[in-house]
Amino acid sequence: MLRETNKRQVEIILPTKIGYERMAMACSASFAKFWGLEPERIEDLKTAVSEACMNAMEHGNKGRSETRVVVNLWLEGGYLVVQVRDEGTGIRDIPGDPDIHKKIRKLEPPRGLGLFLMRKLMDQVEYNKITAEGHTVRMALKLEKPDLPAK
Amino acid sequence: MADQNKIIVETKGTVAVLDIKGDVTGASEPFFSEAYHHPDADGTGKLLLKFDGEAYINSGGIAVLIQLLAEAKRNRQRVCITGLSAHFKKVFHMVGITRFADIFPSVEEALKEMG
Repeated sequence: MLRETNKRQVEIILPTKIGYERMAMACSASFAKFWGLEPERIEDLKTAVSEACMNAMEHGNKGRSETRVVVNLWLEGGYLVVQVRDEGTGIRDIPGDPDIHKKIRKLEPPRGLGLFLMRKLMDQVEYNKITAEGHTVRMALKLEKPDLPAK
Repeated sequence: MADQNKIIVETKGTVAVLDIKGDVTGASEPFFSEAYHHPDADGTGKLLLKFDGEAYINSGGIAVLIQLLAEAKRNRQRVCITGLSAHFKKVFHMVGITRFADIFPSVEEALKEMG
């Protein structure tokens, strides 16, 4: 489900099913392009949104088919903000930056790169915001031209 | 929804080229494993991974690639990569993949250097 919640905000509701993160990626890319982000930053956004949605499905919602992932996009204070909400209780063990040498030597699992990529590709990342509706990850990209015309 | 993987393995001189079609995700693991152990790749000292520049690659797919790099390192094989978009070149550099695999702009340039 996709709906425009106000003049500059879009909401996407996804089933908890791996693969549907692609829809959030596509919508995020369209939203970012509409507001004038450069192609390189749009690619950064797509990867970060994909990783946040997959984390929400796998770790937040634990793959439960009755749950949903809600993605909101809006503009605020010169930033494009994307918020990904799941029905979980937050991230308990936040992994540090990956050590590729340890991964190659199998001293560290090969997975666990999602949060790292989100932190590296976005200008701001916040997680573990817990509300009655669940756990939220909030990410933001700085707009090249913060004084955007009304569209 | 995702593009199904298919990996075609062929030998170019002393290099086994793994032509990776489709998206690279956690679900790609059996395809990478099968290609790595393909008769044309098994035992060769040099592997070239050719990605589809339009492909979707996520962290699960990068983990699969790390597993392949780990196995290649244990077997003393050189791995090179080509076909990546500018974005995924940046991502691979961020993760550290480029410490274990050189990235080339084309198959021809990779083979010339690896040969």
